[in-house]
Amino acid sequence: MSQLSEVEEVALKRMAVTIRKDILRMVKAGHAGHIGGALSSADILTALYFKIMRTQPHNPSWPQRDRFVLSAGHKCLALYAVLAEKGFFDKSILDTYGSLGSLLPGHPNMHCLPGIETNTGALGHGLSIAGGMAMGLRMKGTDARVYVIMGDGELAEGSNWEAAAAASHHRLDNLVLFVDRNSLQISGRTVEVMSYEPLQARWEAFGWSVREINGHDMRQIVEAAASAPFAQTKPSVILANTVKSKGLSFAEDRVNYHYWKATDEEIARADRDIAAMEEDLSNE
Amino acid sequence: MSEALDPRKTFGEALVEAGEKNPNIIAISADSSKGSGLGPFRERFPDRHLEFGIMEQGVLGFAAGLATTGKVPFVASIAPFVTARPFEMFRNDLGYMNQNVKVVGRCAGMTYSDLGATHQSLDDIAITRTIPGVTVINPGDPVEIRRAVHAVASHVGPVYMKIGSPKMPVLFGEEHQFEIGRGVLMEDGKDVTLIGTGTVLSKACEAAQLLRKRGVEVRLINIHTIKPLDSELLVRAAEETGKVVTVEEHYLIGGLGSAVSELLSQRCPVPMKFIGVDDQYVSNGPYEELLALYGLQPQQIADTVLSFM
Repeated sequence: MSQLSEVEEVALKRMAVTIRKDILRMVKAGHAGHIGGALSSADILTALYFKIMRTQPHNPSWPQRDRFVLSAGHKCLALYAVLAEKGFFDKSILDTYGSLGSLLPGHPNMHCLPGIETNTGALGHGLSIAGGMAMGLRMKGTDARVYVIMGDGELAEGSNWEAAAAASHHRLDNLVLFVDRNSLQISGRTVEVMSYEPLQARWEAFGWSVREINGHDMRQIVEAAASAPFAQTKPSVILANTVKSKGLSFAEDRVNYHYWKATDEEIARADRDIAAMEEDLSNE
Repeated sequence: MSEALDPRKTFGEALVEAGEKNPNIIAISADSSKGSGLGPFRERFPDRHLEFGIMEQGVLGFAAGLATTGKVPFVASIAPFVTARPFEMFRNDLGYMNQNVKVVGRCAGMTYSDLGATHQSLDDIAITRTIPGVTVINPGDPVEIRRAVHAVASHVGPVYMKIGSPKMPVLFGEEHQFEIGRGVLMEDGKDVTLIGTGTVLSKACEAAQLLRKRGVEVRLINIHTIKPLDSELLVRAAEETGKVVTVEEHYLIGGLGSAVSELLSQRCPVPMKFIGVDDQYVSNGPYEELLALYGLQPQQIADTVLSFM
């Protein structure tokens, strides 16, 4: 699992482009969406579902499966795209985003579609739920793991630090957290709005083992996830440095694309940007 | 009503019984395991007793996560700290996710009478019954607590159950049937319906006796399940007696009286009287005196019913 061949690496990068196309597909259907965090976490989600995690899309409640919790539920466009590409549900559902009663609400609902493990959206809930999953899986004697993605702005929710302490106290080394550190939140730079830096020292002080990676580098994502737990008996956190709205030239690292009400002109530019990403890959 | 038993001890003993039957039942503590009656469970099943310390928000998320793996967590702690404080976790992680978690709020109502309003819980029913899919249970005596634990353990879905702290008079025999959502007709009568719940059911029972001595034929009903409400029993009582009085150790806003009036105003509007705590932070002092301050002692209940009639 830990080894990533060059062929696999290129395949993952290609899948990440497809995921970005799917994200745009949903934005086109709904005319809006939380694009910034979906695109900053898209590479991590791609690596998890297409290389790291043990899943059975045809048997979504398979007891031995690894679990994924999207604590930052607003990044759900990326999760929907990955689940659809993985075959948990039909891709045509992506075209219903934004319509009345769509199975793709703006924050994920586990009762709507197979493959969605939790109902998140209110921030600061996911890590506790994931911790409970990790405890329950350990009690059942399975070696399944629980993976979580949260945002760096989300770290201001105090409940995360309750969960961080409890996961460490209960030695949940089957729990792996990605902090999608895109450094932006709704009202500005995370370090200016409410800084939780230095993140590495804080997580270490809470009893976690920590790695820092480039969250858009497939090799780094896979190697970090595959080598968890980084220390026996400790939960693992991967501080993934990312770019908000990664892939859209006009939106990257810009705070006003946290939630995007897309104009036709912007959609056209976005299509060109993703096509250029694809073109770059075909030259690799 | 000579015998009285400790509700927390009764809950703890019943949880051990339920745990013997179902190996998936686990107990979750937020630092007050013994005070919540979980001591015997911890002794009997040490590996199934999980401690989280004073972590009263995230503990519900952990319970939800454990439930996704097939465990049946019973989270027990002081009532306001598992309802008001983690309300969003209760709503989203247990309710919205529809997880099979049982939250037990102990020392509920004014039973922490001398500790003041931070520790009293007069809004827990109001809060939890707004959450779709959550069953809300308020047992009226120790026999009912025991039965309720077994019923709740068998029920699949999120539950809030509240228990008090002072010893509760035994009102029911061992033959007592407890079914979630099914009220108990304790005494028949045609003049007025008196509905009690939880810790003050025994007060309502005594009040009914006083009223009988005054020639009032009281229909006495025990509503141990606030949600889902036994609409059939309540509508019939309203139709047949024409007057309804509710008695609860809870705020008048959002509690039993509110739930019953929401039902009857639509199905069978009749004059109603609510006995409970009005819109205020309650005082502190000896428990029985506090109940008296809010009109919850038997003679006061009887007098209120008489003046209402």
